[in-house]
Amino acid sequence: MSPAVGTADRLASSRADSARRERARDALLLLVVAAGLAASFGLARWLDARRPQEDPYAAYEELYLKPETARRLSLSFNGLAADWYWLRSLQYVGRKALAHRGEFTLDDLRPLGLRNLGALLEQSTALDPQFMAAYDFGAVVLPSIDRDAAVRLVERGIRENPQEWRLYHHLGYIHWQAGRFQEASAAYEAGSRQPGAPAWMRAMAPQLKAQGGSRAVAREMYERMYEGSTDEQVRSLAVTRLAQLTSLEERDRIRRALSDFRARAGRCPADWREVAPLLRAVRLKLAADGAPLDPSDVPYALDAAACDVGLGQGSKIPKR
Amino acid sequence: MSRPTPRPARPSTNRKDLSMDTALARPVSPAERGRAASARRSAGSLRRVGSVARNTFREAVRDRVLYNLVLFVLVLTGAAVFLGGLSAAQEAKIIVDMGLSAALLFGVFISIFVGVGLVYKEIERRTVYAIFAKPVGRGEFLLGKYLGLCLTLAVNVSVMGAGVSLALLYVNGGWHPLVLNIWPAVALIYVELLILVAVALLFSSFSSPALSALLTFFVFVIGHFSAELKGLSESFGSGGGRALFAALYYLLPNLSNYAYITAASHGRTPPAPVFAGSVVYGLAYIAVLLAASALVFKRRNFK
Repeated sequence: MSPAVGTADRLASSRADSARRERARDALLLLVVAAGLAASFGLARWLDARRPQEDPYAAYEELYLKPETARRLSLSFNGLAADWYWLRSLQYVGRKALAHRGEFTLDDLRPLGLRNLGALLEQSTALDPQFMAAYDFGAVVLPSIDRDAAVRLVERGIRENPQEWRLYHHLGYIHWQAGRFQEASAAYEAGSRQPGAPAWMRAMAPQLKAQGGSRAVAREMYERMYEGSTDEQVRSLAVTRLAQLTSLEERDRIRRALSDFRARAGRCPADWREVAPLLRAVRLKLAADGAPLDPSDVPYALDAAACDVGLGQGSKIPKR
Repeated sequence: MSRPTPRPARPSTNRKDLSMDTALARPVSPAERGRAASARRSAGSLRRVGSVARNTFREAVRDRVLYNLVLFVLVLTGAAVFLGGLSAAQEAKIIVDMGLSAALLFGVFISIFVGVGLVYKEIERRTVYAIFAKPVGRGEFLLGKYLGLCLTLAVNVSVMGAGVSLALLYVNGGWHPLVLNIWPAVALIYVELLILVAVALLFSSFSSPALSALLTFFVFVIGHFSAELKGLSESFGSGGGRALFAALYYLLPNLSNYAYITAASHGRTPPAPVFAGSVVYGLAYIAVLLAASALVFKRRNFK
């Protein structure tokens, strides 16, 4: 073998060695990346499992910034930031609702413990003061959690959008729920003076003053809520409350029929069949066995001992 | 072989020829000669500016600046598909907020990062020597560069605006007033970006790209805090503080004039006089910035 061929072989062998070493280094680096990612994933899960669990959503519901600071820092992206807080509010309520096992209605979310909902909605509306959906949602959901926060939210909405009659309607609704009929009447009176306010706003003001706690006013309130809202959940709440009012009126008629029966027979009826003709006479919807049906088509329960009527098992009508 | 005898020239009946004949026949005054030369110079200058602008646009396309549109389309598609169930009937508002904010954000990045490199890259690659060896003035070069990036941004912003309109048509399953109502806000975003490009060009005409990018970003941020500057100025009773903040307020561009994204998401458009005033304010400010850039650039030594 000539020395030149030997040198070429050595050179080729050295290059092959170098390439092998390079590949080995690459493989080692890839291994470090993969092992590092796997280790960090495992460690993150290990740490999560050992973190003390006071409230699983505590971090989620914290506010990063005060509303006014957030508005100043958002440059011209305030609308997007408001949407972000709006989505966080909805997610916050949704997560709490999923975690809660008992019953609740949209206008009584106390069992969910939504302590930061007011602040989230305040943030959203501070960033975008014309964000009507946030005021609508806050006016319905917030009063049961923090009535003062609800009033503050809607009053600020009115300051920012003084010509939006719907906000006066919301304020009136919050005061009406709290039994403050004078304030509710004043809110409707002020709202009725805004451009585009419907005629019923003007009619509501004296009605609230005269008979604020009546069922007629409650029915009017929920009918207007149903007509005025675009939010499916709010409309569904209005339908539920209207059904509840209908049920209350039906139960009054049933009680009168039971009372008539007792006056005539000297005892309470043993079952619905005995009192069915009287119930039919007051135009109640009856099942095949003569039991009156509530608005969710579930038979009312007869309390034969007390001569009274109550909601049946499985009824969708709220008890409160 | 006899050669054909040339025909005697016939008197021209063509109007153009006649006028030329007349012009040739009539003595031209020095003022007329000056005006014609000035017109020729203007036409030549516009042609040169146009060439630089065209090349700047081509370069931006070659540098894949418009690829950001792909990311934008992905953001909008994601928003349109996934927000329905999350936003409680606020999809249209959120799509407008998200789409127009993305248009502004991407536009700001392009204005700053491409804007500061417009002049610097030519100096770094020494192509300015080849350009200035030709009859191209420094001012023409700057204006051409500026208009080229403006054209890139025009394509970018209008495609993004169209994307938002299409997303709105999709989520509403048909016509929605916002489809048209967003366009004044899109136009104002574009004017804001034109101002930022001019700011970037001014800084890049005398400093390094990194510093220019930083300074332009500061102007963008401070431009949105103009109301605070005015408030600060008014909070000082009198004296230097009041004058300083008032000067800053009037010296820096008031970019809050162009912040109509949130209003657009509620279907509100700026009143016509406010819209026109904002556009004119922007154009005046751009003229000032470009003139200042040209002044600085003319004195710059490339050695």
